[in-house]
Amino acid sequence: MGLDVIDYWIASNNATAAVPEPSTGETFLKRDNRMPRPGIVRSTPRPLTVALAAGAVALGLALTGCTAGSSVTGNDTPQKGGTLTYASGDAEPTCLDPHVGGNYPQALVSSQFLESLVSLDSDGTVIPWLADSWTVSDDGLTWEFTLRDGVSFTDGTPLDAAAVQANIAHLQDPATGSSTGYLALAKVTGTEAVSDSVVRLTLSQPDSALLESLSQPWLAIESATALERSQDENCAAPVGTGPFVVESWAKQNAITLVRNDDYTSPPADAAHEGAAYLESITWRFIPDSASRYAALQAGEVDVIDNAQPDTIAQASSSDSIVHLDAPRPGASNRIELNSGKAPFDDVAVREAFIRSTDVDAAVSSLFQGSAERSYSALSSVEPLGVSRPDLFEYDPDAAADLLDAAGWAEKDSEGYRTKDGVRLTVVFPVSTNQSIPAEQSLFEQIQATAKETGFDVQLTKLDLSSWYTALGSNAYDAVSAPYTKVGPDVLRILFDSSAIQPAPSGYFANHAQVNDPELDSLLAQANATNDADTRAALYADAQDIVLEGYYILPLYDQQNHFLLGSAVQGARALPTVSTPAFYDAWLKR
Amino acid sequence: MAEALTRVPLRFVARRLGGAVFVLWAVATLTFFAVRLIPGDPAEAILGGPGSQTSPEALAAVRAEYGLDQPVFVQYLSQLGRLATGDLGRSYALNMDVGALVLSQLGGTLLLAVLSLAVAWLFALLLATWSTGRGRLARQIGSGLEIIAAALPHFWLATTLIVVFSVWWGVLPPISTADARGLVLPVLTLAIPLAGFLGQVMRESLVAALESPFVLSARARGESERGVLWRHALRHAALPAISLSGWAFGSLISGAVIVETIFARPGLGRSLLNAVTVRDVPVVIGVVMVVALVYILMTILTDVASRLADPRTASIRTGAGG
Repeated sequence: MGLDVIDYWIASNNATAAVPEPSTGETFLKRDNRMPRPGIVRSTPRPLTVALAAGAVALGLALTGCTAGSSVTGNDTPQKGGTLTYASGDAEPTCLDPHVGGNYPQALVSSQFLESLVSLDSDGTVIPWLADSWTVSDDGLTWEFTLRDGVSFTDGTPLDAAAVQANIAHLQDPATGSSTGYLALAKVTGTEAVSDSVVRLTLSQPDSALLESLSQPWLAIESATALERSQDENCAAPVGTGPFVVESWAKQNAITLVRNDDYTSPPADAAHEGAAYLESITWRFIPDSASRYAALQAGEVDVIDNAQPDTIAQASSSDSIVHLDAPRPGASNRIELNSGKAPFDDVAVREAFIRSTDVDAAVSSLFQGSAERSYSALSSVEPLGVSRPDLFEYDPDAAADLLDAAGWAEKDSEGYRTKDGVRLTVVFPVSTNQSIPAEQSLFEQIQATAKETGFDVQLTKLDLSSWYTALGSNAYDAVSAPYTKVGPDVLRILFDSSAIQPAPSGYFANHAQVNDPELDSLLAQANATNDADTRAALYADAQDIVLEGYYILPLYDQQNHFLLGSAVQGARALPTVSTPAFYDAWLKR
Repeated sequence: MAEALTRVPLRFVARRLGGAVFVLWAVATLTFFAVRLIPGDPAEAILGGPGSQTSPEALAAVRAEYGLDQPVFVQYLSQLGRLATGDLGRSYALNMDVGALVLSQLGGTLLLAVLSLAVAWLFALLLATWSTGRGRLARQIGSGLEIIAAALPHFWLATTLIVVFSVWWGVLPPISTADARGLVLPVLTLAIPLAGFLGQVMRESLVAALESPFVLSARARGESERGVLWRHALRHAALPAISLSGWAFGSLISGAVIVETIFARPGLGRSLLNAVTVRDVPVVIGVVMVVALVYILMTILTDVASRLADPRTASIRTGAGG
């Protein structure tokens, strides 16, 4: 058993070393010191233990400061049993079924008991999970998924074509209130059970993002029998095929997950087969970052998420805490400049703003090395991401020249630039729910450096509801909003002109209000093609338009840091949306 | 005890109840409009959350389900109507009835508040009795400690206690646990500043009592110093602290917002904080109403307790009726 596992790790490691460069990479500039991600960083240099390698290599990561050639001892054979306590700093979900709504806190916990049709491996390739194989017709409108044999939900219902049909119907039913899954299935118009184990999806238009969408936890497959219960019951304890089962949920305290002893469906990149090693998981909610870390230090909890830069820096000096850095896929964290109204309707003013902000210095001081600067619209885990450091260099002189030429040559008594008596003002609402304290400080530093060039950046800290309202009423010039999605199709959501019009709710994703028919066309073609090279080329062109148009100021990947106590072995983050997976995890106490 | 209760006239109780209903109505109204006047759409928050996209269909369904498409005043009236029948409504965000939520969370907060009040009284009593009648230095140390304790902010004290007892010494957990160990730090966080307040009040009246004629006569009867202190002077000195306890209990429940969040304890304070963040109006109103109710009950209780400790207050408070 042990040897098999080791072989697997080595195999994965080789695969990792071969992370492909985008085939169209004419504009992909890779930094020398860039660390493959997501990654585990051992706090202090020490020989690799096999167990650590399990987590690390399965993730496809680099271990800094580790010597190769680790010694394998009997103690590192996974041990069964024990309870792992996980402490989440995210909001407690209001419903454990990620079909309902569909946000990241739901994905975090539901990844432990629900599974999807497909998954991704560490270099972004789609791999089998509940579906063994799939085919797509030449016109891209018909997909057939063959389901894995012998899989049952934890309530005994078998996994069959009808179950998949019921899940798609559940996601598309407005009464479910799905947002993430609903949008992902927008092109699916029909389902059909070809046989017990083959399900056919019919699409209105080709969708190259379908597999990536289906890999997300928000489109997990649940028991059709369980879905027929009331929404309240299903929210309290959704039934899936996963390695753990929801046993109880004491609101505002903890969710108790117990092992599924009959588990048979690990994803193709898991490190073992059969039931999970852990007896149970206690899933707690500890909103305060300092308490969360103190609880980890005191050994009260084994894993914490949402580790903040100061905590990560502290943990790096501890030899018993392991840092798991698993950036989320989809968009990078970025500041979006509202090109739909003055002053950012002028590309020169957008470029001037970007040139006037010293982001690199602020990121390295505020994030204490835990975040790496991004120059891309996409997360660094997206293989098709295009990085353009040349466009985002701090150059206040160039910024001043651009503003002079654009008519913002005058300065008022406070040193801000004006044009026709109007001050160069950037209204920047900040969501305190979404921007961590370090990020809020970063915005303050951006405010300070932009002021030197003459921008009046008005930061307003708002709670989530007020922030949505500010966006919906177009009362912003700059904004930063995270967006997690598997695959480059997130570009269509963020930059297609149809996403400028706020829905009746006021929600829209194209905060930069990019309105470019050429870009729309590139993104539509990329979404419709089934050819990987064509798709990559189209997305590269699309990203160039976005980056060269100075619509966004990329900051860093969407941060997602976990800290693991020394007893935790074999934990990893799933390469789909970087949620933690404890199927291979065990406790070495 | 039965005899003691008859000292509390019915008219006093009736007037108190009427006042309580008025306060509850005012609290419900103020809270409703305060939460609704802040910009923001609860429907967004119900479905939304960082990174998720909300479809117009889903939002429309949610608005209809929760009556958010009605004019605000209509929502207010229906909210009030439900409250009048004892129905706290249904949480926008938690998929459960507010009544059930409050019931499930009230216990934790009450336990925390009652224990903190008890521990605060204990600390205050010990410090006041130790430092009184022991010379100027002891009195100054005592009052200095009380002033410092009273000035400590909860969040600072909580963090400091966690660092010292959980991180450095590793003797107490920084978060709630199934056993009682997890209660120690939160209770200390709430009790220490409160002990400072209570102690200040207690010492002042204790010093006054020890110098008063009835203590002199007790001493003259041959009562021991300890007997004088515990049997006579303290009973006198406790009065202001008892009246202060009603207020203190209310402040403990608001302190629970911070303490429950930092120590990851289930409770009403945490429910309230979450609910305010997502504009969960029924939960905000429900929790605030319950806290107001507890506050009113405590005020009545402390009044009754004052009457029991010192029957003279009855005639003063109820005027000619006594």
